[in-house]
Amino acid sequence: MSMITPSTRSRGPNKGGARRNENNRIYANPLPIIFNEPPPSRIRSVLNTLGLSLTEVVSPHCEGIFDPITRSVWVTSSKHTMLLWRRGFFGKGDLSRSEPSWLARQINNRRVGGKQMTSEEVTAKRRAERRQFKLDRAAAIAAVAAEAEAIFETEGRVIKPALSGPAIPSAATWRPAPAPVPETPATPTLEEEEEPVELEPIEDIEHLQLTLQEAFFLAWSLDCLTVLDPHTNDAMTLKQIWHAFQIAHLPPTLPPAPSPPLQFDNPFLINYVVYHHYRSLGWVVKGGIKFCVDYLLYKRGPVFTHAEFAMVVCPIYEDSEDQETSSLDLQNSSPFAWSWLSTINRVNSQVQKTLILVYVTIPARSRLSLDILNTPACLQHYSVREVTIRRFIPARMRD
Amino acid sequence: MDDSLEQPTALLAKSPPSDQVEEEDDQSSDEEDGGLDWTKLPGIARPVIPKRGEKDFEPKPGGGSGLQLHVLDRARAAMFDALRATRTISSKAVSYAIWYPNIGRSHVTLAKGIHFSSMGHSAPRPVLEENGKEKIQKRLELLPEETIYLVERGSLFCWKETDVDLSAPGMDGVAGVPMTVQQVHTEMIGIEDLTLEKYQVYTYLKRLGYAVTRTNPPSSYYPTPPPWPTATQPKKRLTIFQRILSIFPLWTSRLRRLLAGGFDWWRPLRISRWLHHDKNYGSLFRSLRFMSAGHNVPLHHPNPEKRLEKQKSSPYQIFYNLYKPSTPFKRSAPPLPDFQIVVINARTTPMPTLQELTDLFDELPTLPPPLPRQRRHIPPQTSTTVAANTRAADPGAIVNTVAPPPVTPARTLNPLPSPPVPRQSLIRRIFPWAFAPLPPQTTGQVRRPHPFMALKAGRKLIVIAVVDAGSISFFRFGQGDFTEWPMA
Repeated sequence: MSMITPSTRSRGPNKGGARRNENNRIYANPLPIIFNEPPPSRIRSVLNTLGLSLTEVVSPHCEGIFDPITRSVWVTSSKHTMLLWRRGFFGKGDLSRSEPSWLARQINNRRVGGKQMTSEEVTAKRRAERRQFKLDRAAAIAAVAAEAEAIFETEGRVIKPALSGPAIPSAATWRPAPAPVPETPATPTLEEEEEPVELEPIEDIEHLQLTLQEAFFLAWSLDCLTVLDPHTNDAMTLKQIWHAFQIAHLPPTLPPAPSPPLQFDNPFLINYVVYHHYRSLGWVVKGGIKFCVDYLLYKRGPVFTHAEFAMVVCPIYEDSEDQETSSLDLQNSSPFAWSWLSTINRVNSQVQKTLILVYVTIPARSRLSLDILNTPACLQHYSVREVTIRRFIPARMRD
Repeated sequence: MDDSLEQPTALLAKSPPSDQVEEEDDQSSDEEDGGLDWTKLPGIARPVIPKRGEKDFEPKPGGGSGLQLHVLDRARAAMFDALRATRTISSKAVSYAIWYPNIGRSHVTLAKGIHFSSMGHSAPRPVLEENGKEKIQKRLELLPEETIYLVERGSLFCWKETDVDLSAPGMDGVAGVPMTVQQVHTEMIGIEDLTLEKYQVYTYLKRLGYAVTRTNPPSSYYPTPPPWPTATQPKKRLTIFQRILSIFPLWTSRLRRLLAGGFDWWRPLRISRWLHHDKNYGSLFRSLRFMSAGHNVPLHHPNPEKRLEKQKSSPYQIFYNLYKPSTPFKRSAPPLPDFQIVVINARTTPMPTLQELTDLFDELPTLPPPLPRQRRHIPPQTSTTVAANTRAADPGAIVNTVAPPPVTPARTLNPLPSPPVPRQSLIRRIFPWAFAPLPPQTTGQVRRPHPFMALKAGRKLIVIAVVDAGSISFFRFGQGDFTEWPMA
């Protein structure tokens, strides 16, 4: 299973080579659409020279249920879930960090001494080890300080207690203590091993949640997703989806009242423009709340590389009066304070990401009719531009 | 302000051999400001700004143990000794100037030392000759920030212009009222658009060795660099070819779209059943690129007059031109600057708006994409090295490990030191054709800009110095160029 990473983290020169090949195979398709090459034949080569081909374009049809309250689309079929994750890294498991791996974790928990761990388990183990390392190091430093103290008291010599050195473990030298071997007799373990067989199979209760941007991209741009209405369970038309996804971001109205009028500064529209733009440039776009930003851009995908860019979406009203009269208070639509820029830049440079401000212009109401919001044609009036942020360190730029 | 503020402390930790063996722990941050080891200072000599030491362990409860208190007292005493020393200047090295408040300049009457190769400018001023005639004579003058900087660092003795008769007996060698450092500060900050923030940025950069000049000449005889070359010229041969290649499929897809009728906003994706070059992910992604993006898209303004008004009153105006210490600088004819800087007060000015950034970028030249770090030529027989190199270049190789700094792969994989890369000044980068071509560095290997580096650098660059009550953070704002560097 792809979601399972080997627990042995070798540090040799071929580190992860096999795993990378495996990932290249599993995640070979960057989008859910695939191109089926027909077997080589003479007709095919003749057609190829004419610029024609028999390659079949296979567009899968996944299903998801729109959930207006969480502003997401839930994909419950495990086949669709895996397809959407493996071909383009769409969505997130609701019980997992990214890839829906809840079931695999449960199965691992049942198997005593399971050799394979999910990415969440690897992280948890690493964190526990890191914590133990810090405790060990602090204890070693305190011991060296106490020794220096004793020498000063008795001999009057001043020794600066070292903060590092042979007596103090560093991140490179520290090794976790070997796990205590269970001293239980052999017979009970046998019983334990037999036990899981009798357990009933675990039912996968996890679903994949797609943000509305992801869902609309799949449904509209790629035609790979059918969105079901939560009340009727019928497939929604693109027009209904377009409308419903915008309404989901507007302040709710009581049922008898008609739905509120559409607005140019709808967060769905702004985020969709950004999401679509970077997807169309070939980036894998994921949420970035972990690093104080709106989106993270991965080259190829999260299993291959760390995210390279951290994007903060800054909506810009073409007409500042629209901002004053709007019923929405858009995040980052007014320039933020320098302290906040320093904060997010510090967080992101610490994890080797470059901060990008993504400015999205919101068309002025005075130049367009509101009717244009009824179709995706309104998207052509928005524009995206990036400003890259990096610290400038004069002391390091001298030559 | 500490000159070594930004320098990593890696070398410092391996100090005297008498100390216990100390290794630099990767946990100790290079930015953290540790205590100064004043005890290492020579007591009576002229004060030197010391290097920073390592952070100590937290004090023992009850105000510290005996050893801790002893070490602290020793350090404190050393600090007071160092501060108590009298600052002195050698009379051989000191320059003299007279401050004229009415024109906001100080006239250098005696110039000594190397400072004046990058500071001051000559200005023609009327001089009353002995026969009573007025004559225009050129003289060396300093701007307020230059004067304060030199006075503060003890290189300049500044008089203030006075009405007192200086020819009276006993006034030999007196050119005016002597000014103190405090007086220089209070009188000169606020003159010629100089704010305290701008002075702090100026002095910080000067101490690091940069040449700093004003971008907008304060008077007509202030020397200025030549104007930026027009944006059409600086194109690299390599990128032209790349651009043609990247434009071509876009153009064909547009043509096909035109033939197939208008763009249907309800069905944005169209894959032809029969055409061959539609059938890959590259063209699939390209056909999805229909959002308008990039800094060339015009910004709409419902009220152009109001916008012009805002542009004029914006605090985001380029103030200083910056030249690296290594850039050959001629005071009377400064070259094109290496960087341009905007200085703002963090407490009163929010982040720039998109419009303000656009206005700044409009004034700046387009920079070519940065070239990757020079690698050593790889001999053909070591195919393993090549494989290792490509692996190191592949970011996938560092998944789930702590990403090493970008230099390490090249350095560790090539045990021999790489040949020194000739430094390329900004002009050289802009006009590559105006210079003799650099000797080829790699044989058979063309260096291409790495997309990530190009994306991070952006096409244009402005440095904004944000001063918050004396602490300066510098940010580079780059004009992003993601549309030019697609990943698929």
